[in-house]
Amino acid sequence: MKNSTLLFRSLAIIILIAGVAHLVRLGRSYTTGESVSYTTSPIVDEHTNTDFTESDSNSKKILNYNENTDYITGTWLANYKSAEFEGAVLYHLKKEGRVFNAYAMEYQDVHGNSQKAEGHKVLTIKRFDGYKGKGVYKMEYKGKIHNMDCSIDMVDENTFKLSYDYYGYSDVETWKRQ
Amino acid sequence: MVEMLSEKLEWIDVQYWFYVLNDLSLLYLIIPFFVLELIRYAFLKQLTKDLIFDSIASVLTYGGFLVVGILLGLLAVTKVYFWIHNNFSLPHLELNWVTILTCVLLADFAYYWEHRAMHRIGIGWATHTVHHSSEHFNMSVAYRFGPLDAIMPIIFSIPIVMLGFDPVLVLLSEVFVQVFQTLLHTEIIGKLTKPVEFIFNTPSHHRVHHGSNRQYWDKNYAGILIIWDRMLGTFEPEVEKVKYGISQPINTNNPIIVFFHGISRLFKKMKKVKGFKNKLLVCLKPPDWMPADPK
Ligand SMILES: [Zn+2]
Repeated sequence: MKNSTLLFRSLAIIILIAGVAHLVRLGRSYTTGESVSYTTSPIVDEHTNTDFTESDSNSKKILNYNENTDYITGTWLANYKSAEFEGAVLYHLKKEGRVFNAYAMEYQDVHGNSQKAEGHKVLTIKRFDGYKGKGVYKMEYKGKIHNMDCSIDMVDENTFKLSYDYYGYSDVETWKRQ
Repeated sequence: MVEMLSEKLEWIDVQYWFYVLNDLSLLYLIIPFFVLELIRYAFLKQLTKDLIFDSIASVLTYGGFLVVGILLGLLAVTKVYFWIHNNFSLPHLELNWVTILTCVLLADFAYYWEHRAMHRIGIGWATHTVHHSSEHFNMSVAYRFGPLDAIMPIIFSIPIVMLGFDPVLVLLSEVFVQVFQTLLHTEIIGKLTKPVEFIFNTPSHHRVHHGSNRQYWDKNYAGILIIWDRMLGTFEPEVEKVKYGISQPINTNNPIIVFFHGISRLFKKMKKVKGFKNKLLVCLKPPDWMPADPK
């Protein structure tokens, strides 16, 4: 068989198979009304080890709504037990432009009483690949806001671990989807 | 139907299905099948010392292959995959049945070309000859791997990652193709029904691939689907009784020699030819290639 025949047949096979997959993707985003606006994605997989800010310029354009990562948005609850506070905090996590931000919505004490929170931004997830992420966690301590580097580890789609280590002060929080 | 096929799936479920098909199949399919083959050999009074040492050598080369794989840094490879996936890929495909099926099809097609390259490029054959060096044909032969067998699949699956398929799904699909292939290494199963033999790679087709009979050389490269061979001119049906092995037998079950014989033969050939260009061509041209003027 001629090399050119081999090449054309092979390309035809690849285009046909990959084409079916992409047609289904486009068909679905059409029927579900998902936005197909293309925007630069900041959500660079952490495996890549590329510096986050530098990768902006060369990162590939993908759909603004990313099925693999954006499922993390929604309402989450984390329990706390410390000298200052015992209870739970309800957060709202949304995608804002290029990152995910979590806002404190409600405080709940151990007796089941709840109090509306001021809606401060407490967490920014800068990179998230669907399994792991990195970001900044804000914590108030002695009247000062501290920005701590933190990492996110999905346990399953309804649970993730948020861990941080700040000048030897380390902790792991478990956030559960509500 | 289309709705069902395009419905979004959970990663955790998909990984579990692949775990059952890829990993657990060793326990519920491959080992029981091998035991059956051993019983058959015993029954036919073919359970010789040579056969047993041949099987042991095969499994030991698999150990060597795994060590090399880890040394090569398969972890680094998955990083390369993710980097390519994030920077040089078509829009990413979401996880659904269509994505899984098309990914397996593409992995199977990539396997075809990777396998063909392993036979038709000097350095590829130097490692893949290990797999063909057994003169028996049973499940254990499927585990005969050469030292560089992990490299070719990496190169051939990068385009799939660039087409928008998740790197993890690509790796799982490749292993699935490999597991399907493993099950074809048997003499127990004769020819299957016509439609199956037409579409799928079967033990019969794969016996041909392992044949040292001249008409069986470099035929039936398929993983799961034999149609790739039919479309690309490398199909050969099983007619004459297959003589397993390679044209220059190694005549040993020493696992070290089995594992390295291809590489050492390649080096010997490179030594023999004169000039840097010819030495390089020995690695890149088909294994039977010789410079016009070897002096
Ligand atoms: Zn082969």
